Amino acid sequence: MNEAASVASAPPARRHFEPEDRIWVSAGLFAALALALGLPLVLLVLWSVAGRWPAPDLLPSSYTGAIWRAVLDDGDVLSAAVTSTVIAVLVTVLTALVAFPAAWAMAKFPLRCKRAVEVFVLAPVIVPGIVVAVGVGQVFLAWGLTYTVPGVVLVQMVGTLPLMIRLLVASFETLPDELIHAARSLGASPLRAVWHVALPLCTPGLLAGALLSFVGSFEEFDKTFLVGAPAVQTLPVLLYHHLDPYSLQFPLAAVVALILLLPVLVVFVLSGRILRDDLMAAGMGKV
Amino acid sequence: MKNASAADNRAHLVAWALLLPGLVFLGALFAGPLLWSLAGSLGLDQGLAGFTLEHYAQIFTRPALRSGLLVSIYYGVAPVAVTLVLSIGLALLLRRHFRGRAWFNGLYKIPMAVPGIIAALVVMTLAERGGFLDRLAAPLGLALPRLVRDPWGVGVILTSVWKQLPFMTLVITGAFAAIPQEVSHAARTLGAGRWRTLLWVELPMALPGISAAVLLTFIGTMGSFAIPDLVGPPSPRPLAVHMYAEFGSGHLPLVYAIGMLLSAFAVAVLLGYYALSARAARLLGGSARKDDHE
Repeated sequence: MNEAASVASAPPARRHFEPEDRIWVSAGLFAALALALGLPLVLLVLWSVAGRWPAPDLLPSSYTGAIWRAVLDDGDVLSAAVTSTVIAVLVTVLTALVAFPAAWAMAKFPLRCKRAVEVFVLAPVIVPGIVVAVGVGQVFLAWGLTYTVPGVVLVQMVGTLPLMIRLLVASFETLPDELIHAARSLGASPLRAVWHVALPLCTPGLLAGALLSFVGSFEEFDKTFLVGAPAVQTLPVLLYHHLDPYSLQFPLAAVVALILLLPVLVVFVLSGRILRDDLMAAGMGKV
Repeated sequence: MKNASAADNRAHLVAWALLLPGLVFLGALFAGPLLWSLAGSLGLDQGLAGFTLEHYAQIFTRPALRSGLLVSIYYGVAPVAVTLVLSIGLALLLRRHFRGRAWFNGLYKIPMAVPGIIAALVVMTLAERGGFLDRLAAPLGLALPRLVRDPWGVGVILTSVWKQLPFMTLVITGAFAAIPQEVSHAARTLGAGRWRTLLWVELPMALPGISAAVLLTFIGTMGSFAIPDLVGPPSPRPLAVHMYAEFGSGHLPLVYAIGMLLSAFAVAVLLGYYALSARAARLLGGSARKDDHE
């Protein structure tokens, strides 16, 4: 009723919650968070150490470390973890190497058919991974790359490259041309100007892209499964086999899931500072 | 004059040289295989004489595959609709200040980093028959309906929503943040209430960002096969799952044809989005056009 009046009188009148409102909002949000994220995590941990957990009970009736010990003694999970890590590192480095020059060209050069290049580079985001994988799989058969780690790295890069290019372009575009011009007119070669001036300024974009590539590769399933399995066992592929509805073993699946979750979450939490929201939104919020 | 155009040409050469590795890579590993699949789906890998539309016809005549297309669309649309409503609400709350906002802002994004397969496992431990929710409800004398591998695909929807809520919220928060404060203040000063401002000013201005997020999420869900395979009902199954099954039994041309249909559908949705957003930009005038096709 006096809304217009209050807007007019209080200068940049952004409505804030009353203090007592805010408590309820944050209580509600954190309760939802606990329910959606905390509870599943607790359940996974409980399943991984549950000896016996018959149906109506809310907590296991006995605990055991036997599953963890069995999994850690059995080489499969550890070797899958190593494979996943090696693939993720390779994917990240190679994606950055290919994406950097391409993104630089798209952000800083007046290209004649810029729109066509943009569409071509982003097209893999639109096509489902399984479709890419089936096509690439046939090409790889001819090249002898199916069921090999290099093959999996290459097919995963089809997914990570567009995102990396996109994030880098967004980050290069915010870079003032004058800085490069200044460096150039002071006698720096183009490469030096990029290396010493542009690269340090674009570190946030590069790190965000690297992070997304790493996580994207570590968790990738569809393409890895079609091109690499059964010879290349990454953690998601291993977990998929443990989740088969007909032979599902929750304890074993929970252990593998926690092992798969751990590095991804560590990287993600560490990166809280690196991943700037505005950059992510700029890089991925447009098509 | 001549000098300038020579420099211009040189710049073009440098640009194309920089683009080359990326273009060659995507050409060899994306465009090439896709064209090969297209040829294979039409029987053209056997030479021109092999041309046939029979594999496409199969998709529309075999009942399992025909319903597969509808299921794919359903698994694309339903989770995105639920996610959209939730994430607009969440984005609006995240604009405000509340206790622990910084923490919440960091924590809610965790599912983005969680593999889809683990999301499926999470939904299984919670909502499967005999899962945690069932055990919670049992003492109250309630029996939950089947939520995993159920005919309505609730398990698939739960899993996809859980996985995609953060991404969508992040993009929508960004889209809201990009609206100049003055615009909503102007609306409020002119007498629009909070909800009217949201509905008629802020949401339309955030639309390019929102619809891009919707599109990416829709296409992702429609094409994924691990989640419906694990928590979806055994029948009907989406096209991606059929595609994998046919791949396993070696019916490559049919696999290619399904793949092409899925891709064509995704491209059609994308083109529709472009057409709609161009129209919206015309209707809304200059302000929206700027961040549209960049």
